[in-house]
Amino acid sequence: MQEICAYESNVLTCIIPSFKTYISPGQLRRLSRMHRIGLTAATMCLRDANVQVPDGIITASGYGFLEETEKFLTEMLERNEKQLTPTYFIQGTYNALAGLIALSTKCLGYNNTYVSKGFAFENALHDVMLQLSENSTSNFLVGSSDEAAKVLYAIGMRAQYYKVENIPNLKLFDSQTTGTIQGEGSAFFMVSGAPSATTWCAIKDLQMVYTPQHEGEFNLALTSFLEVNKIKLSEIDVWVSGASGNIEHDHLLHHLEKTVLQQTPQIRFKHLCGEYCTAVSFGLWIGASILKKQSIPDILKVSTPEFSLEKIETVLIVNQYLNRNYSFVLLKK
Amino acid sequence: MSQRVFITGYGIITSIGKNTQENFQSLTLRRCGFGELSILDTIHQKDLPACEIKLHDQELREAAGIKTEKGYTRTALLGLLALQEAIHSAGLSLTDIRNSGLISATTTGGIREFEKFFYQITDLQQQGDFDQFTDTANPGEHCERIADHVGIRQCIATVSTACSSSANAIMQGAQLIKAKKIDRVICGGAEALSKFTVNGFNSLMIVDPEHCRPFDNTRKGLNLGEGAAYLVLESEALVNQKRRKPLAELKGYGNANDSFHLTASSPEGTGAFNAMNLALSVAGFSAADVDYINAHGTATENNDLSEGMGIQRLFREQVPYFSSTKPYTGHTLAAAGSIEAVFCMMALQHQIIWPNLNFSSQMQEITISPVREMMQNTVLKNILSNSFGFGGNTSSLLFSLV
Repeated sequence: MQEICAYESNVLTCIIPSFKTYISPGQLRRLSRMHRIGLTAATMCLRDANVQVPDGIITASGYGFLEETEKFLTEMLERNEKQLTPTYFIQGTYNALAGLIALSTKCLGYNNTYVSKGFAFENALHDVMLQLSENSTSNFLVGSSDEAAKVLYAIGMRAQYYKVENIPNLKLFDSQTTGTIQGEGSAFFMVSGAPSATTWCAIKDLQMVYTPQHEGEFNLALTSFLEVNKIKLSEIDVWVSGASGNIEHDHLLHHLEKTVLQQTPQIRFKHLCGEYCTAVSFGLWIGASILKKQSIPDILKVSTPEFSLEKIETVLIVNQYLNRNYSFVLLKK
Repeated sequence: MSQRVFITGYGIITSIGKNTQENFQSLTLRRCGFGELSILDTIHQKDLPACEIKLHDQELREAAGIKTEKGYTRTALLGLLALQEAIHSAGLSLTDIRNSGLISATTTGGIREFEKFFYQITDLQQQGDFDQFTDTANPGEHCERIADHVGIRQCIATVSTACSSSANAIMQGAQLIKAKKIDRVICGGAEALSKFTVNGFNSLMIVDPEHCRPFDNTRKGLNLGEGAAYLVLESEALVNQKRRKPLAELKGYGNANDSFHLTASSPEGTGAFNAMNLALSVAGFSAADVDYINAHGTATENNDLSEGMGIQRLFREQVPYFSSTKPYTGHTLAAAGSIEAVFCMMALQHQIIWPNLNFSSQMQEITISPVREMMQNTVLKNILSNSFGFGGNTSSLLFSLV
């Protein structure tokens, strides 16, 4: 958060770390860009949590490894289905990253991959919570990866997911138009049923809301969620909004900030990572970081209401994807 | 704390039938879907025969009752037909449906349409009817579309763990019910043949141009197939409220990773062994309780060796009857787990073991061999169904007679 990148185009790509620090040279050569990014994020997480072999691995992605899929597809079309090699076909498989991490860590345990558009990461997180409810001492590695593939930009422009006009990412929320900006990223978390010395925060609960029909239904879903978890509105120190800068798609979140969450300080994150199916995982990393570090970088803050926090104990994440996939994640210190 | 999980209905469409009854008949009459491709437009129509559903998209649309709505891919259409039959078979009302979840599995979603219109879709200057398939490279698209079509709102998820996908969808549904997160989840998978899959598997050199021979010493690879199947999973509490007797109970499930190679299983069958063993332990069963295994049995050299070794290691001297139904339907990839789960339901209901077609010579590396003729005079109480995939994913489900 110290070095924020400003982008002038509508595509935000990952800031690439030194892969060599995380991946062996032999493996590095054989991996595509997004597999490198995903495996690096997973390795960072394993090191941070001080876990060598997780008990299970669950990954999430909206479009998988679309660059590799496209490479195989265009080769197939250009060569009229002749003389094809399987490399891109294999690397484009949705569960390739989960399999790769299992291989790298020699993890023989639970392994799953969700590809449910704007619910993929939430499904993965939900799955982890189910696994831990059956075995609370386990450590599960759960993470996301989605790439800003060029072909997805074309799809997104045709489907009107992205803005027509260019907008600097740091001005995303000033925009009064539809569409958003394309992003990408990979985030991994070690989730365990019991706290330890390396714990960042607790995930109290998670709920998905599919295609809410109107503001009343959505607000009610949130208040019921808080009620079930016995959380009063005044207890929420900060809420993380998954607003995407799309004036139409953000309307339920805008309504929330004017009603139920009017008194609650708000932060946003999609101006930093762009929009992608599993962007909520970046939001979770932000929420967990805030609870761990007990500070909120200014770049995330939405001006009103004022931030006057002494102690941050409860964080609520509210995400939306394409105004169809909504989710609440409740975090506690 | 936890509660039991029952199956109260199912629906299926494969190359051997567009509903439960047709599939049952074909299985009984040893009728297979294997043959030259005529619906999928590929240069491999003749040299790589597969198990294709001989219905054009327009016929599928009519069967599903779709009139003018656009954007339904073949995967979504197959899924919708199986889903509609599952809903009907479980006798669900509109309210029941609204309060249900849908967990669907696919390995390619609508790539069939995406590959067909790729150059048009990605050229923003072009306009046309292809527009309806713009976002079909997304694997979760089919799930939301068919959920929207029937009105499912509670819980939506798409799983993709290669060829074990729909087994994991069923397992996840069972765990949601067990943990009392939801009372009813419809789980399964849908997979249409595409040039992408045909060429992908061909480039891996694991497709047999002849009819596949699972667990046979001369096996040369798999035949691809297409289809969809969904099972209605309901909680004990919900079943108790109803007057209908459930069809079966999902007693156990296991998910493990072989962690050997991205596109190959370990020769000693570590993942297969672990998945089956986990399913037994969740059910509280010993190996001797299993009456039949519907094997993954793709007829690739690698899978059948690994699976055979895993079965032998787990069951030792008491290996139950086992067979692969892949020669009937081909390998339907993400849909295989749920299609074979439906075959297991039929096996339990009718007390029949489906034969492993095309077996004639014993594999050298193992001593066990599959069931060759249909068996009707055996007692079937507990069935294991295996699904394994690339990425090391191995899953096993355990169904029991109620």
